[in-house]
Amino acid sequence: MSQEPVAIVGAAAVSPYGFGWRGLARSVRERRLSPGPSRELRLVREGALSFEVPDLSSEVDSGDPKNRKLMSRAARLATVAARAALEEAGWRDARDEIGCFLGIGAGGGPLDELRAMLLASLETGRFSQERFAQSGLATTNPLFAFHLLTNFTLCHGAIAHGLGGPNGAWFSRGSGTLVALTEAIEALGVGDCDRALAGGADCALYAGTFLELDRGQYLSRGLVPGEGAALLTLARDAAKPLARVTGWALDSDKARPISNRISDLLGFFDSRIPDALVIAPWGTPTREALFEALARRCAKVLDATASLGESLAASPALAWVVGLDWLLSDGLESVGVLSAGIDGDLGAVLLTRGEPR
Amino acid sequence: MTARRVYLRGVGAYTPLGTRWPRTLAALAEGKSAVRPISHFDASGFPCQSAAAIPTAIEVEDRRLPFAQSAAREAWAAAGLEVAPERLGVFIGAESGRPSLATVIALSRAAGGGTSFDHRSFGLRASAHVKSAEVISPSAVASILAGEVGAGGPVMTVSLACASSAAAIAEAARSIRLGECDAALCGGVGADVDPFMLAGFALLGALSASGRSHPFDCRRDGFVLGEGAAMAVLAAEPPASGAAIEVAGIGRTLDAHHLTAPDPSGDGAFRAMQLALRDAGLESVDYVQAHGTSTPLNDAIEAAAIRRVLGPGLARARVSSVKGALGHSIAGAGALGFLCAVAALSEGTVLPTAGLEQPDRACDLPHVLGEAISASIDTAMCNAFAFGGANVSIVARRA
Repeated sequence: MSQEPVAIVGAAAVSPYGFGWRGLARSVRERRLSPGPSRELRLVREGALSFEVPDLSSEVDSGDPKNRKLMSRAARLATVAARAALEEAGWRDARDEIGCFLGIGAGGGPLDELRAMLLASLETGRFSQERFAQSGLATTNPLFAFHLLTNFTLCHGAIAHGLGGPNGAWFSRGSGTLVALTEAIEALGVGDCDRALAGGADCALYAGTFLELDRGQYLSRGLVPGEGAALLTLARDAAKPLARVTGWALDSDKARPISNRISDLLGFFDSRIPDALVIAPWGTPTREALFEALARRCAKVLDATASLGESLAASPALAWVVGLDWLLSDGLESVGVLSAGIDGDLGAVLLTRGEPR
Repeated sequence: MTARRVYLRGVGAYTPLGTRWPRTLAALAEGKSAVRPISHFDASGFPCQSAAAIPTAIEVEDRRLPFAQSAAREAWAAAGLEVAPERLGVFIGAESGRPSLATVIALSRAAGGGTSFDHRSFGLRASAHVKSAEVISPSAVASILAGEVGAGGPVMTVSLACASSAAAIAEAARSIRLGECDAALCGGVGADVDPFMLAGFALLGALSASGRSHPFDCRRDGFVLGEGAAMAVLAAEPPASGAAIEVAGIGRTLDAHHLTAPDPSGDGAFRAMQLALRDAGLESVDYVQAHGTSTPLNDAIEAAAIRRVLGPGLARARVSSVKGALGHSIAGAGALGFLCAVAALSEGTVLPTAGLEQPDRACDLPHVLGEAISASIDTAMCNAFAFGGANVSIVARRA
C-alpha cells in the first residue's frame, strides 16, 4: 500500500552501537560489532550471546535516576530516543499536538526484580501466596504492574517529553512496528496531526523473553537477542526533508512459501527500483531465504540484524534508520527495507531522497 | 479520498454477569452488580479483596482466551457476514497474559525453592515452565481469533492498558474507512483478577480499600478490578434490515502528564472527546458511557471534561459508567463501554451507574441512577482513559 509520501525530518536510535543514528549504516556494513557474552543473561545461561546497548552517558540518559527505576529497559530506551528525535527535529513547541506511534514488546521485569519478588514470597522454603501478596510484590518496583501493561514503553517517553497527540502502541514481534509507522503516516495524511514520531522499542534480554525464545527454538536457529529503540520524525510537509517514506507493504500470509512472499514484496520494490536494500531477518532461515531471493535482484544489501541483533519490536525501526543513514551518507536515491520478524510477517518500506519543496 | 462509513453488525460479551451479551445487558439494566468478595483464589492477604470476577479456576493458563473466544463467537454469529478472508481484519485490545500461579510456584522452585535464588538452576529448569509465547503474548488472543473467523486481512493487537480495546475498535473503524478491509472483528479482553494484578494495582493505591465500586459517588475510594471480554463486528456495508448504527467519530490523545494520575486540567480527556465529536460532525451527544472508574481523581476530572466538551448539550444528555457493576476490566473496559453505548442507540436502554447513590458535587452530571431508563438516543460516546495517559473516545450514532 502507498499514499502521499511523508517527510522524514529526523531520526533517533539507541542501539548496541550506542546513542545516535548517523554513521550507523557504515558501522553495520563493516560489522564493527559481533555478539558478545551477555551481561544481562549471564546468570541465566553462562555463555549466552547477545547484542546489548552500552551504558548511556548521563547527558543522553532518560530523566533522573529515580524515574529510571520505574521504567522497563524498553521504556528507558524509548524515552532516550524520543528526546533525541525531538531535539534533532527542533520540535520544541506545541508538543501536545505531536503524535507518537510505537511498536512495543511484551513487558518483563529484570531478573533482580523477579529474584527479589520470589525470595520475599518464600516461607520455610516454599512459595507462600499470602507472603507474595503482602511482601513479595512490595519488594519490587511499585510500577511492577506496568511492566505487564506494555503501553508504558510509549507513555514514559510521552510524559517525559510532553507528547500529547494521537497515539498508539502495537504489540510487535515484527509487523506491529510497521503498523505503527503506517498509522503515523495515515494520521498525518488525514490531518489528525502535522508531526509524529514512529518506530519501535524493545528488549529481548529479559530472562523470561530469553527463555521464551529458547523454547520456541529461535536461538538454535540463529537468533541473537538484542535491544534498542529507533524513531523516525515525520511531518506532513517540510521545506527540507531528509527523506520521504514513499511506500510500504505488509505480508501476513504465513501459509505461503516464504520465497513466494519475498518475491511479491520485491515486486513492490521493483516498480520503484531502490538503489539498495536493508534487511532485518530474525535468524538463519529467514536470512538465507532473503539472500537467496535477493541474489539476482539487488547488488547492495545490508543485513542490519547481523550486526545489531534481534530486538523484536525495535528491529524494523532500527533497520529503517540504518536505511535512512545509508541513503543520506552514500547519496542514494532510494533504499528499501525488508523486515522479517519472529511473528512470520514480512514488511517492506521504501525510503526516497527528500527533495526540497 | 472520501472515507467509507463504518457500520456495526454484531456484538458479543462474556462478563461476570452473563456468558452472552443480552444476559449481561438485562442484569445491568436492573442495576445489578457483579462486585463481590473474590472466591476463586485466596485473597485474604490482599489490600483489596473484592472484584467483579469470572470465577474460572486460577490454575488455567491464560484466562483471557475463553472469555475472548466466547464473546467473539457471539459477535461473529450475530453479524452473519460473508466476507473474503483477505478483506476481514481482527483488531484486539489486550495486554500480556499471565502464567497461572502454579507456574509461578514452579518457577520459584526452578530457582532453588530455598532461601537463595539459584540463577543457574533457574536458567536450566525454568524454560520447562514457560509454556510458550502464547501464555504471555499480548498477540495470542488476536492470532487465535483470526484463525477462528478465517481472517486474512490486517490482524493487530493494541496494548494501551485501560484504553486498549477502545483503541482496537477505533483501529478497526479506521481500517475500514481507509479500505484496508471490508469487515473487522474488534474489541478486547481483560482477565486481571489474579494475584499478580490484584497486588500490583494495590501497590499503586489504585484499588478500593472498601472493596466497592461507586463511580461519581462521594464514597468512591478507588476502582475494583473486573474482567471479561467484549467484541463487535464492524463492516463497510450496513445491515440489510433493521436500524443501522455507525461508528462516526474517533479521538485519541495523550495526557503527557503522569504515569498513574490523570491531568488535573482534564485537557487530554477533553481533547479526545472533542476530536471524536468533530470527526463525527457533532457538537454534542445524547449519551456518554464514561470511563468512570470510581477513583477520586479520574471521576472528578472526567466529569469536568464532559461538562466542558458537551457545553449546553449536557442538559439533553445522560451519563453513566458500567464500572459500578462490572468493575474495571482494564484492556477489556473500553469495548464493554462501547457495547453499553450501542445498547443505548439500538434499544434505547440507557444503563444506570451501579453503586452511585450519593453523587459527588464535583462529579455533577446528568447521571442515571438505580435502573436503566428508556430514551430515544441518536448519538452516543464512550470514553476510555488509560494509566499512562492514553485517551480514546468513540462516537457512534444511528445511521
